Amino acid sequence: MVAEGALAAGCRFFAGYPITPASEIYEVMMHELAGRGGMALSAPDEISSLCYCVGASLRGLKAMTATSGPGWALMIETVQYALMSETPVVIALVQRLGPSTGGATQGAQGDIFLAEFCTSGGYTFPVFAASDAAECYELTRQAFNWSERLRTPVVLLSDKEVGMTTEPVDEAALAKPANVERTWGDPGAPVAAYDIERVEDVPCFGSVGGGVKVTVTGSAHDRQGRLRKPSPEVVELLVHLQRKIEAHAADMALVRPDLDPDASCLLVSYGITARAARQAVRMLRNEGFPISFLQIQSLFPVPTEALHCAAAGVRTIFLAEENLTGQYRTVLAPLLNGKRLLGINKIGSMISPTEIVLAIRRAGGTIPRGDWPGEHPSEAEVREAPRPRKVGV
Amino acid sequence: MENTTYLAADAKFPYCRGCGHALVVRQLSRALEELALPPRSIVLTTDIGCVGLADSLFPYVHTVHTTHGRSTAMAIGMALAEAVLPAPGLKPIVMIGDGGAMIGLLHLVHAAQLNVDITVLLHNNFLFGMTGGQHSALTPLGWVTSTTPEGNRVPPLDLLALLRAAHAGFLARQFATDGDLNVLIADAIAYPGFSLVEILEICTGYGGLGNKSKGAALREVVDRQGYSIGRLEAERPRPTFAQLYRRDIESKTAPLLAKGGSRVVDAATHRSLPPPPAEEGSQSQGRAESHPDSSQGDSKFKIQDSKALHIVIAGTAGERVQSSAALLCRAALSSGLYTTQKNDNPVTQGSGFSLSEICLSPQPILYTGMEDPDVVIAVSQDGWNELKTNGTLAALTPATLLVLDSEIEIENPTGRVLSQPFRRDATPKRAALAAIAFWLGNEPVFPDKAWDSALASLPVERHADASEALRIGANLASQGGARAA
Repeated sequence: MVAEGALAAGCRFFAGYPITPASEIYEVMMHELAGRGGMALSAPDEISSLCYCVGASLRGLKAMTATSGPGWALMIETVQYALMSETPVVIALVQRLGPSTGGATQGAQGDIFLAEFCTSGGYTFPVFAASDAAECYELTRQAFNWSERLRTPVVLLSDKEVGMTTEPVDEAALAKPANVERTWGDPGAPVAAYDIERVEDVPCFGSVGGGVKVTVTGSAHDRQGRLRKPSPEVVELLVHLQRKIEAHAADMALVRPDLDPDASCLLVSYGITARAARQAVRMLRNEGFPISFLQIQSLFPVPTEALHCAAAGVRTIFLAEENLTGQYRTVLAPLLNGKRLLGINKIGSMISPTEIVLAIRRAGGTIPRGDWPGEHPSEAEVREAPRPRKVGV
Repeated sequence: MENTTYLAADAKFPYCRGCGHALVVRQLSRALEELALPPRSIVLTTDIGCVGLADSLFPYVHTVHTTHGRSTAMAIGMALAEAVLPAPGLKPIVMIGDGGAMIGLLHLVHAAQLNVDITVLLHNNFLFGMTGGQHSALTPLGWVTSTTPEGNRVPPLDLLALLRAAHAGFLARQFATDGDLNVLIADAIAYPGFSLVEILEICTGYGGLGNKSKGAALREVVDRQGYSIGRLEAERPRPTFAQLYRRDIESKTAPLLAKGGSRVVDAATHRSLPPPPAEEGSQSQGRAESHPDSSQGDSKFKIQDSKALHIVIAGTAGERVQSSAALLCRAALSSGLYTTQKNDNPVTQGSGFSLSEICLSPQPILYTGMEDPDVVIAVSQDGWNELKTNGTLAALTPATLLVLDSEIEIENPTGRVLSQPFRRDATPKRAALAAIAFWLGNEPVFPDKAWDSALASLPVERHADASEALRIGANLASQGGARAA
């Protein structure tokens, strides 16, 4: 469904390299894209995959590649190039168990840090997380739209359990956001490659090969795109890379809340674990335990306002994610104004609804300890988030 | 002026005095003028190193300055786009050094293989100049550099020989000081496919330190390495990848998405699922919010409440375990149930076990895992052994139904065991489907006619085979020959 979403979004170029569990996207694009007037081809490695996509995007084509953690590691150089050169491109990152080559056929949500915090300078770029086949379609379209609109790389995050599970999708019920095209410069009134009025503006795009000369670079540059040592103009353009994302953060926020005004605790999750979490919420409510739920689809930029809305009135927040150290929890921790934030974490297999229920009960004290089933080695662990430290100025 | 001159008239070269790069830049400009190509039909892609500064000297052509070694890869992407752009006609010219050539070696090899229409000007000054004269993969034997104080001990790579093996169509080598270099460059640019010119030059900053490298001495180095000068014999011209691709897509039509209406898509295989048979109920559009009357409220079908049914089917790779499981899902889907299917097999895929985990539910399926299976179907010892290994057997409850081939050696597992000679009666390749039919014969989940639309999804040549498997399984069930434990 990622491929289907990409095709619907107007993707015209795909370069791929085989890797479990992302190969299905590659194969579908190889089968389908040519018939839709686009090009799909096999690259000799993941570095090439993304470079080819960036090259094609510089010529004006919407472009995408798909990979998993080990391939993403190789792409990070070029993701940074796309970010710096303001080249739209979408990367579908289907996570598997890491580190390194890890487990090719085991799901995981361990690439949150690696996906977002991979740029020198720590720039923000959009990362969306899909939990099922339908969301793969919808969020891939969103990924393309934001990539084109903001001239930025965008990551569409899923994992083996989302990507390699066969499930039916009702096409009629899918959200189909209108396609967004990048803003093209006026060939009659050529302007500098990176010309902006306000720091958060997105410069108009001119294609390499078009009638207006284009100067593109991955180095620090002036408005003309010329490599320059830092000057106020160069620094402003570096700040602009971050500001253009922040300025649209509220518009990019995508969440699926299921809130209960009587709840004293909030469960937050994303991707594959959001499905188990949703089921756990039903189980707890059936037992008469009021709880709110928030599935976050736009992991980055963090949908702060939605998070604060959902967290208003609750004392404890749980974050369920299939990684060992609570990567997204670490991101959210400083944003929760000191509320108690607990992680429900596990690796090696999906966190089950029962495990989430047990973890919440244990932490919330809704049942006496003696009633818990016996400890199981794979049982999800509950971890206290590090409290934000006060830093002296 | 924009249409005639390529190099800026007032170009201030950022290079050291005597550096070959300046000569190459001038010769490239001359070549472009002689070819009279419109400036906007050229893109210079450069990367890291002194040679990468060349883009700043060409104010009229497009320029793309990239990361080290990736100028070739990005140029490939730009050239490939030609295949699908309405107005093709861009020529990428890649300017790299010997360092960039090695770090981006794979891109050069693939560019040659694909035969993309790009021209690479490889400025070989035998070392990394910008960073202080470190040796490169193309440094001659014995050369003293800042990182080979005792002389280079590693033989240099003959890049042209390598690219010839990668089926490059135009390969040439020339000294930067040769007055007619512009002709060779123009020939390379005019060549309709991948072309590379290795231009030999001296880094005046570092190349001369400790090495005899100027003039005739440079020729000596080249001779010692057995490098020939001029255009090398290469493969005959052939269509570029973009040309081949464009030819192919022009013959393709038929968009996948049907106009209007909805359709059910198999999320893993991406194929449309067949609509359920008309008589199955009113909701003809796949995933149903309500159930077909035929399965809802009828006491003979197992799934009536909101509980999902978890099934594991295990067998041997190559014996149609996963495809039989997919068929079961399609049948269930057409009867209005929600389904998920996950497959597992060893990394080699073609040997050992093969396994599918299925969830059938009257409600949308959230958690796709199974905490304990309701039904375990095992049709080979490989499959059974894997169920032991992966912990499935440890999760069995007394309510679990086990449908097993009679050949499997079992050691009193928990659950209700039904054992039948599926492999013997139906053949190993039909055993999984026969076992599924046998299970459904004992504990119906959906009406038999749901199989019709599932079978319709199979290639015609497999219809008879699959129908036979279903028939054998159903017969075994109706004979009541189940050996209950």
